[in-house]
Amino acid sequence: MSLQDPALLEGPIVTDGGVAALPGPSLTPEDGARSRDRLRVHDARRHGRRWYLLWLLVGPGILAMLGENDGPSMISYATTGATYGLGFFLPFILVTFAMAIVCQEMAMRVGAVTHRGYGQLVLERFGPLWGWFSAGDLILTNLVTLIAEFVAIRIGLSYFHLGAGVAAALGVVLVAFTLSGGRYWRWERIVLGMALFNGLFLVAAVLTKPHWGSVGHALVTGSPFPGGSLNTLLLLVASTIGATVTPWMIFFQQSASADKGLTPRDLRHGRYDTIAGGALAAVFGCGALIVGAALFGHGGSSIQGLSGAGFPGALKLVSGKAVATIFALGLIEAGAVALLTISASTGYAVGECIGVPHSFNNSPRKAALFYGANLGAALIAAVIILIPGAPLLSIALNANVLATVLLPVALVFLILLAKDRELMGKWANKTSTNWIAIAIVAFISTCGAAYAIDSFLQTVHLIPGG
Amino acid sequence: MTAEDEQELVMFLERDQLVTDTSRPVPRAALSRRINNALWALRVFVVVVSAMVIYTFISQVTH
Repeated sequence: MSLQDPALLEGPIVTDGGVAALPGPSLTPEDGARSRDRLRVHDARRHGRRWYLLWLLVGPGILAMLGENDGPSMISYATTGATYGLGFFLPFILVTFAMAIVCQEMAMRVGAVTHRGYGQLVLERFGPLWGWFSAGDLILTNLVTLIAEFVAIRIGLSYFHLGAGVAAALGVVLVAFTLSGGRYWRWERIVLGMALFNGLFLVAAVLTKPHWGSVGHALVTGSPFPGGSLNTLLLLVASTIGATVTPWMIFFQQSASADKGLTPRDLRHGRYDTIAGGALAAVFGCGALIVGAALFGHGGSSIQGLSGAGFPGALKLVSGKAVATIFALGLIEAGAVALLTISASTGYAVGECIGVPHSFNNSPRKAALFYGANLGAALIAAVIILIPGAPLLSIALNANVLATVLLPVALVFLILLAKDRELMGKWANKTSTNWIAIAIVAFISTCGAAYAIDSFLQTVHLIPGG
Repeated sequence: MTAEDEQELVMFLERDQLVTDTSRPVPRAALSRRINNALWALRVFVVVVSAMVIYTFISQVTH
């Protein structure tokens, strides 16, 4: 049976007489909430209100991309700038976001065409072993990343003399607040509003008064190429990739696209959403690198970004109080938005794999496991950062690398789903998209493996430098 | 909401978008031997490299 019967996909379900042909089973509240959102999309399309239509349809792409410009990622970019200055990594960030756009477009397309989340499709299409492997891999990396988000929020708050307890409470309350509405639309708009404050990193970059000629030169030529330790370079390359393409983004965008109610008619706007998210995230990520580069030559390479005063304190000395304050606020925002999106991807994965309701359009009572996993993931991470002596620095530094190592599995299944004609019909990947996606998987796998193998060999003293 | 309201609203959803439809499992994919072998290679790759990362992480924490 083809899953893409055109009769089922084009427009509302109406009979010849123009009367709605209702399906047999009764509507769930989730259907009712989603149909209200689709009614507005339908009206905007019918009346030719293009900008309003765009406003209604953007969301998952921008949230996935700006959610991934999270605390550890921004610290990783700033560390790169502080260690190497402007150069190779500036255009490298743009390249990694271009890769992210290719991957995320596939996730959006699969979600819009099949109306199913990634976890559900992998489980049903490739069997429970791979389904649970993907979900387990996601839950592990999400938990590690959520701890790192709390660490980032804590660093930002520590600049304002607030402690770990405030960071933990703030994060958990925020997640609980956004979950309280019982509507996907409400959740998405709140997080979207918060995510736009990721632009603080660009503001901070401008305030550091960089030499724009050098920025342009670095962007165009990618030089100077970084020297020094191969292990540090590989860590930064793996971290930069892990900061732009991760398993949770794939889970999140596909599931959120389905939850939002996107359909094949919305694919063009879904692409705009994904590209806009990628462009904004790349610009803001470059902003964080430029801010970090202000510390290059001022002992910036010696800053352990997640310990002690870290970046905000160092920036206060070198670039002034305004830059430091904005950077600290940016870290709080980046950590908070990622908390919301990563917790949501955990909820989607758990709900989809267990086969229970998994939509923000359900009430917490109706989708208790979805909401419980969402909040529970944030709670566990919050408790861990309150444990005295917990190795937070090491956890945070390894979060992006672990995500990079586990990413190839998520990407391979995404490609298999997106190229699947039985599932996707005429919206399946073109041959060229398949080859580009395969090249991205090969590149990411090589970078992640290179760092992991190099670090391991150093740790077991088979090569010098450990 | 009345039944008439519900009927009107459902017109704006595609049939395969309804919860009753998305809850129905999609058929299992028929994978070629080549793809199956590639997936097994991927599984081995991930387990080996993840073990290296976890070992390195534990080593960092304990030293």
